[in-house]
Amino acid sequence: MKRTIITLLSLVILFLAVSPLAADGTSLRILYVNDFHGYAEPYKAKGDGPLQGGMAYLAAQVQQLRRERPTLLLAAGDMIRGDTWANLFQGFSVIELMNAMKFDAMVVGNHEFDYGLKVLKEIIAKAKFPILGANVAGLPALKPYVIKNLNGVKIAIIGLVTPKTPKLTNPKDVQGLKFLSPEMTARKYIQQLKNRAEVIIVLSHLGYPADRALAEKVTGIDVIVGGHTHTRLEKPARVNNTIIVQAWEYGKALGVLDLTRKDGKISLAEGRLEEIHPKPGEEDPAISKIVARYQQKMDGVLQQVVGETEVDLDADNARSRETNFGDLVTDIMRQRAGVEVALINGGTLRRSIPRGPIRKKDLYSALPFDNYVVALKLTGKQIQETLEHGVSAVEQKAGRFPQVSGLTFTYNPALPVGSRVKEVFIGGQLLKPDQEYTVATNDYLAAGGGGYTVFKAVLQGEADYQPQVEMGKGGKVVYSKPGKLLRDAVMDFLQAQGKVAPALEGRIKEVD
Amino acid sequence: MLPPAPTVWRVYVNQEPVDLIAGMTVRHALISARLLEEVERGDRRVYDAWGNEVGLEGALAPEMKLYVK
Repeated sequence: MKRTIITLLSLVILFLAVSPLAADGTSLRILYVNDFHGYAEPYKAKGDGPLQGGMAYLAAQVQQLRRERPTLLLAAGDMIRGDTWANLFQGFSVIELMNAMKFDAMVVGNHEFDYGLKVLKEIIAKAKFPILGANVAGLPALKPYVIKNLNGVKIAIIGLVTPKTPKLTNPKDVQGLKFLSPEMTARKYIQQLKNRAEVIIVLSHLGYPADRALAEKVTGIDVIVGGHTHTRLEKPARVNNTIIVQAWEYGKALGVLDLTRKDGKISLAEGRLEEIHPKPGEEDPAISKIVARYQQKMDGVLQQVVGETEVDLDADNARSRETNFGDLVTDIMRQRAGVEVALINGGTLRRSIPRGPIRKKDLYSALPFDNYVVALKLTGKQIQETLEHGVSAVEQKAGRFPQVSGLTFTYNPALPVGSRVKEVFIGGQLLKPDQEYTVATNDYLAAGGGGYTVFKAVLQGEADYQPQVEMGKGGKVVYSKPGKLLRDAVMDFLQAQGKVAPALEGRIKEVD
Repeated sequence: MLPPAPTVWRVYVNQEPVDLIAGMTVRHALISARLLEEVERGDRRVYDAWGNEVGLEGALAPEMKLYVK
């Protein structure tokens, strides 16, 4: 009898040890990355700095950590666009990488929309893991959540992306979509999931301040795995009962969050960032092969012809006079933004393109910076000041020298700085100092780069006066498309035109 | 439905206001504050209001505070 009781008790204890009820006291591991942006190869943040990141090295680390305990691998958005390794393949290179690494889930980031909805749908179809976006209405391919069973614990992962996404990409890339309140969306799905999952994770591309605000306002979220702000959270943060993590950027770090669940709640949470320092021989060979394969393909893609020029496109002289290349690029900007004037600094153009076929690599060399087009309203007086700044260091051939479209001007370099510009015509009419004109430029100048403080001054104070004004309706900003690079706009134009032969038009004239 | 997002955001770099177009990044804030070169050289780094380092392409939000030190 005693033996029977002991046997029965042993069986009960054994059953409890292996049954889901033994989820209490269970160890879980969450690995996470965010804002990878296609940086598949190790890279140097600055010229003399150490190599960091490299997906093959990160993948090796993932494999090692997976061997230690049951693990989920999550991506908090902005994975598929950024570095050329991703851009040239519209993000499909990244998805192949992520499939091979067996990601468990990803939330869509604002940059996932940059290739357009058609490509995004194809990306989602190719991914062997769910891509989430609970607060995106109108794109059924994006799932609101997924439930994973990890070590007997049901974990619900809800995806939320910044509702500012329409401002961060091309409007046509989010046409027909609505970006809903993350707070209301989180509450809705927590209510639905609280009896179906034991742990609730929000996989967020809201940004760290917004993650904190979400945790303040919404109860029931155990963990927020975040992205968007490229925050290096060395240790998890905690707001109320919510743990918040984020793993910096570009695969330079892998986030590790170890949770222990006991008595129906998370009793212990320990987290860290493992920085990825590539060492030869320590890479995951399968991932390394994928990275190398696309690297080789890149050369072929960069050789692709996008158009032809019947004349040399001159960038060499863009810091001291009008060039046909400057005319062409600013014409494209003006057309793209639908404005009266376009102006960039000559330093934007880094390499001339000889007569003949124009290859993608030529454009990458000529326009290496990831600038995009913005347009503001400037008065005639402000345009004059802008031009004065542009010609203020023409003797040094400084990069600030302007290239323009939609306006012509004369200047005398022998005169004192600030008084060199003589006549300015816009649309054939003499410039009126008090009249407002719409002017396209690039984001660098718009932020005050190159000493172009006029653009800065235009924005100054706007935030106070019109916090809710939509772009182009009464405010100073009439156009801004962070999701569409100037280089890509030039490429699109050349592909549509086929052949170009820009000639100097006398837009900028030096006079005595 | 959410109200339309503002077009111009004010952020603060070392407590000085900087007005930028929505969608601009930490990099643009530093351009405006004339601190980008120092950070790109590695002489200084950028931190958020909670003391976490942030990347140059990190997103901004209205009223965000950045510290370059």
